Amino acid sequence: MKKTKKISTTAYPWYTDHYLFVVLGYSVLLLLLLPLLAGCVSKKEPSGDGMTTIVFKHGKIAGDPALFRKLIERFEARNQDIKVKDEALPASTDEQHQFYVINLEGKSSDFDVLSMDVIWVPEFARTGWLRDLSTLIPKDKRDEFFPGPMQAVTYKGSIYAIPWYIDAGLLYYRKDLLDKYGFSPPKTWQELVKTARSIMEKEPQVYGFIWQGKQYEGLVCNVLEYFWSNGGDVLKNGRVVINSPENIEALQFMVDLIRKYKVTPPLVVTAIEEPTRHIFGSGRALFMRNWPYAWNIFQREDSAVRGKIGVSRLPSFPGKSSASTLGGWQLGINRYSKNPKAAERFVKFLTSPESQKTLALTIGYKPTRKSLYRDADLIAQQPFIASLYDIFMTARPRPVTPYYMLITQVMQPEFSAALSGIKTPEDALKTAQIQIERILGAE
Amino acid sequence: MRDEERGRWFVMPSLVLLSIVTIYPLIYVLYLSLQRRLLIFDVSRFIGIDNYLFLLKDDRFFNAFKNTLYFTIMSVTLELLLGLAIALLINRSFRMKGLIRAIVLIPWAIPTVVSAKMWEWIYNTDFGILNYLLGVKINWLGSPFWAINAAVFMDVWKTTPFVVILLTAGLQVIPKDLYQAARVDGAGRWDIFTRIVLPLLKPVILVVLIFRTLDAFRVFDAIYVLTGGGPANTTETLSIYAYKVLFQTLQFGYGSTLAVVVFLCTGGISIFYIRLLSRGVKL
Repeated sequence: MKKTKKISTTAYPWYTDHYLFVVLGYSVLLLLLLPLLAGCVSKKEPSGDGMTTIVFKHGKIAGDPALFRKLIERFEARNQDIKVKDEALPASTDEQHQFYVINLEGKSSDFDVLSMDVIWVPEFARTGWLRDLSTLIPKDKRDEFFPGPMQAVTYKGSIYAIPWYIDAGLLYYRKDLLDKYGFSPPKTWQELVKTARSIMEKEPQVYGFIWQGKQYEGLVCNVLEYFWSNGGDVLKNGRVVINSPENIEALQFMVDLIRKYKVTPPLVVTAIEEPTRHIFGSGRALFMRNWPYAWNIFQREDSAVRGKIGVSRLPSFPGKSSASTLGGWQLGINRYSKNPKAAERFVKFLTSPESQKTLALTIGYKPTRKSLYRDADLIAQQPFIASLYDIFMTARPRPVTPYYMLITQVMQPEFSAALSGIKTPEDALKTAQIQIERILGAE
Repeated sequence: MRDEERGRWFVMPSLVLLSIVTIYPLIYVLYLSLQRRLLIFDVSRFIGIDNYLFLLKDDRFFNAFKNTLYFTIMSVTLELLLGLAIALLINRSFRMKGLIRAIVLIPWAIPTVVSAKMWEWIYNTDFGILNYLLGVKINWLGSPFWAINAAVFMDVWKTTPFVVILLTAGLQVIPKDLYQAARVDGAGRWDIFTRIVLPLLKPVILVVLIFRTLDAFRVFDAIYVLTGGGPANTTETLSIYAYKVLFQTLQFGYGSTLAVVVFLCTGGISIFYIRLLSRGVKL
């Protein structure tokens, strides 16, 4: 400030004398503020022709977006008074969650229909962001859907979203190698270890068993499959039961896979789906836990494992039953939507047997309706999808609670600590138990 | 007086804009940090400094704070030393100087998320080129010891060019006659470096330090993409923790408290450097 005083006016270039620039500055400011002000005053354009436009927000559609657009056009052709704008969100699920949180917390009515990861529905329902859709699926029609997704979209007896497509953890195996050494796909985890160890001796270049162990949501999906297949769980009737002998044994087994049996390479503790898919896809692993999406990639012409692999349900501990973690996406309606009726028609359409079949045939989305797995076309054209019926029937949702996002933030670092050897499974689960109890006790 | 008055009118539009986009949110975050606000619990009430008291008992906060400090100190120190060395090297005249300078800039030009993804593959135990080149099988991102250092190394790779550019600019304004005069007086290379280059470069070095320390302290995207904070939170920084609390678990109150702490820390760092800088210029 002091320095500028010394400089005389004559030192300024010519334009400082022109108030034009002040005017210009304020005009720019005004222009920037105008949309803000306009947003406060005016409401959405009341389309005079009786047309309703609804906005559908979703994650990236796998495969060709034009195929999906065609399905929307089919809806528009049948509902001449409704136009659908479909808007894709960033690919990462975390970013999508963040987008919904910010916009719904701000009571935004910019979108009407939203697609949600299976773990968000109770949370969004609890916050009052979703429209109650119980009337869309009458009580007697609910068993047309798989039980897992149905459980995940139900909160306090009401339904807040309609299951759109389904996912579940699978065991991929190298059929050629198992046949060569006379093994069959393992039914128990211990069998898997035995098979892997004896084949690894003869095929030293392959890893035994790879899965996803990075500190992220996928790790929780993996660990829960071991808990469940040993009879354990995280919550039971609202009580926290994560620190149970079954769970400790299951988590210890995962650690042992890496350290004691050495059938799992240490690299899994940083792996998410794609790196494991690459390793298995290049023929360098005997077993892999992954989602169904990998299958189609392995069947491509240039795939090194084409025709050499098989898929089965995940193994379990002896005498217990196998369980896959449920994934998949559900469609809900924004509570603040201005066109809920049109949105309901669209959700109903997208989750109808007809649309789900189209999506299964074109994009490979796995239907949430059981009847489609007996559909002749689907069995003929997508035999793989049809073969997953039994696994989807028993797929289990992660703890269905509005507090899931808090709970998973506790589980992720604790599981990761156990796998990377920072804590023992006992310690990790003990800490998780205490912290989850605190979260649930806060209400 | 007239000048000052007119100046005020000139800056007013930008001040108004700034206060809308920065000061208002800042005050709102402060206000949120004094609340117990959990969206999913339908809770929203004023609790004073309880969030700040809880912070003092929160192990995960201290862990994140420790990681952030380690990351900041290591990466800024290495970037400065390496950047200075490279700047001195490419400040000499040699053939294809322009080309070399452009090449040096490449890491800086790659978007952070892209380079983090790239390094995730470089560090891959199985496919990674790093293990291939070193002939080892280190699980870089999976071991609690290596993960944070791997993040530091990535940051050094990425932002050293930024340091190089600023320091090269600083080196170029040092008058050539000073070197010549020093040489005439019989000064050796080391003397020239410590008595001429360093003192004259000091203001630029401080500017570099301000930028880099603040950026490193708030580091989010690079590490978030590289490790997600794992394994077992050994690479979780304050920004990552705040993000998880705010947007993944929707604890707007406590998350804002964490954000305020990050803000206070960066504010403190800025003031510290600006003090140093103003003193340095007077020298």
